[in-house]
Amino acid sequence: MLKVEGLSKRFGGLVAVDDLSFEVPRKTVLGLIGINGSGKSTVMNCISGLYRSDSGRVTLGGKDITRKTSHDIARHGLGRTFQVPRLFHRMTLVENLLTTVLDSRRKNAELVEQAEAILDSVELHGLRHDHGEELSGGQQKLLELARVMMFDPDMILLDEPFAGVNPSLCRLLIERIQALLGEGKTFLLISHDLTSIYRLSDHIVVLNQGRKIAEGGVEDIKNDPQVIEAYLGTEAYDG
Amino acid sequence: MAISAASEERVAAIRNGMWYGLLLALTVWFALIPAFGGNLPFFFYLMLWVTMASAFNIISGFTGYMPFGYVAFYGIGAFTTAILTKKLGVPVYFSLPIAGLAGVALSLLFAKTLKLNGIYFAITSLALAIIVRLVITNMPEEITGGSFGISLGSRAEPVKSFYVMLGTMLAALLTVTWLARSRLGMALKAIRDDSEAAEAMGINVPRARLKAWMMSAFFPSMCGGIEAWYTNVVDTGTAFDVLITAKTIIYAMAGGLGTVTGPVLGAVIMVWLDDLFWQRFPLLNLFLLGTAIVLLIQFMPRGIVGSLMQRWPKLRRYIM
Repeated sequence: MLKVEGLSKRFGGLVAVDDLSFEVPRKTVLGLIGINGSGKSTVMNCISGLYRSDSGRVTLGGKDITRKTSHDIARHGLGRTFQVPRLFHRMTLVENLLTTVLDSRRKNAELVEQAEAILDSVELHGLRHDHGEELSGGQQKLLELARVMMFDPDMILLDEPFAGVNPSLCRLLIERIQALLGEGKTFLLISHDLTSIYRLSDHIVVLNQGRKIAEGGVEDIKNDPQVIEAYLGTEAYDG
Repeated sequence: MAISAASEERVAAIRNGMWYGLLLALTVWFALIPAFGGNLPFFFYLMLWVTMASAFNIISGFTGYMPFGYVAFYGIGAFTTAILTKKLGVPVYFSLPIAGLAGVALSLLFAKTLKLNGIYFAITSLALAIIVRLVITNMPEEITGGSFGISLGSRAEPVKSFYVMLGTMLAALLTVTWLARSRLGMALKAIRDDSEAAEAMGINVPRARLKAWMMSAFFPSMCGGIEAWYTNVVDTGTAFDVLITAKTIIYAMAGGLGTVTGPVLGAVIMVWLDDLFWQRFPLLNLFLLGTAIVLLIQFMPRGIVGSLMQRWPKLRRYIM
C-alpha cells in the first residue's frame, strides 16, 4: 500500500532521516517507534507532503507521491493526524469533519448526518456545536481521528494518537482504530506508548537518529538488543 | 439523529429569517432616505464602510490574512472610474464594474504574496499599496492628473451614486452570506485556522485563498469608484490614504471578523460613534474615538459579535 525507499531529510547540518526504507502492506498496521528526536514525525511529514524530502521515493497504492503537494497526496487517499492536534479551532466539531469532504457530490444534509454519526462513535456528539479550541487534549485527539474517519482514506498516518490521553479515552481510540482496521484501512502508527504499539502493530520499524536500527514482528522487536539499548541505554541491556 | 436534524433545520430557519429580515429592513430604510431628505452623506459613507468592512472580512475574517495595503484596491477603483469617465467619456455605469474588475486584476498581480503569512504578508501588502500610489502619482498628468488628481466636472450625481452604493453594499453582504454557508467558505475558515492541516485534509489552499483574495478586491474597488462619482474628485492623497485601510480593519474587527453580521455591526456602531463625537465634542473627537477602540479591543478582543458568541456559545447557531 505504502512504500518508502531511501528517504532522506536534512535540516541544515542535521540529518533527520537517513536513507530510510520500509513498506506497509494493505490492511496492516506498521508501528514506527524511536526515542525523542529519532525522526519519526519527520518521516510522517515527508510522506504526507508537509516536508519535501531531499532524496528517496514514496509510493502510495503504486503511485509515486514523492513530489506531490500535501492536498494532492490527501486526494490520493492518505489521511493523517498530528503529534500536537491541529484542529480548526474556531470551527465547530461538525464543521471540522465537513472540511474533509468539501469536494463530495453528496448533499450537505447527508454529510452533516454522517459527521454527527462519526462524532457519536467517538463519544463527542454532545459537543458537536462547540469549537475545536474548547475541547480537552484527549478530546482533541479523538476529534482528529474522527476527522480522518470522515475523510475516509485508505492509508492513515497516526502521529502519537495516545499521547496525553487518559486510559478510558485511550481504550476508545484503540477500539476505533481496530474498527477501521476491520474496514480494511492501512495504518502507519507512531507512538511512545509501546504497549499500544505492540497491541496494534503487525510489524514494527525502529528509528534512532534518523536511521532504521531494527525491523520485524512485535516479539522480535521486544527482544532486539539494539532496541533495548536505544530505549533504555547500554547499562540496562548489559544488566 | 432525526430529532437533531429537525432541530438544526428549525435553527437554520430562525437564523436565516432574522438575517434576511434585517437586510430587507435596512434596504427599505436606506432606499427611503433620499426621498425623505435624510442625511445623505452620513448614510452614503455608512454604506461604504459596511461594504469595505464586509469585503475585508472575506480575506481577513474568513481566510486569516491582514492586508495593511487594502487601500490599493480602493484607490485603483477610484482612478479607473475617474479616468474612464472623465478622460475616455465612458458612462459611469460601465466604468464602475470595470473599476471593480481593475481591482480584481490588481489582486491577481499581488497574488504571489499570498504565499507569505502573518506580518510578512501584511507589510508586503502595505509596500505594494505605496508602490501603486507612487506609480499613479508619477504617471503622465494627462492621464491621472498628477498630484492634483482628476475632477469629474459636472458628472456628480449624489442621489444616483447613493443608490448604486446601496446596491453594492447589498451585493457585498449577499456575497459574504453565500460564502459563510458555502463549501468555499468552510475551506477558507479551515485555512484561517491552520493552512497546513487544511492542505493535509485535501483542501487546495492556493486556489481557495486566491478566490477569497479576488472577491475581497472587487468590492473596495467599486467603493473607490462610487465615492469618486459621489464626491466628484479623485486625488492620490485621499484615494490611497492609509486611514482607509485602518478604518476598514478597525470597523471589521470591532464587530467581529469571521462572522457575517460582525463587520456590519462594527461599521454601523463605529461610524455612528465617530459622527456623534465629531458633532458633540469637536475638539476631543479623535481622543474619544481612540479610547473607544482601545476599550473595545481590550474587553472584546474578538469584536462585539465574536465576543458575545464566545461568552454565550449557544448564540453561534442563531447568528450568521
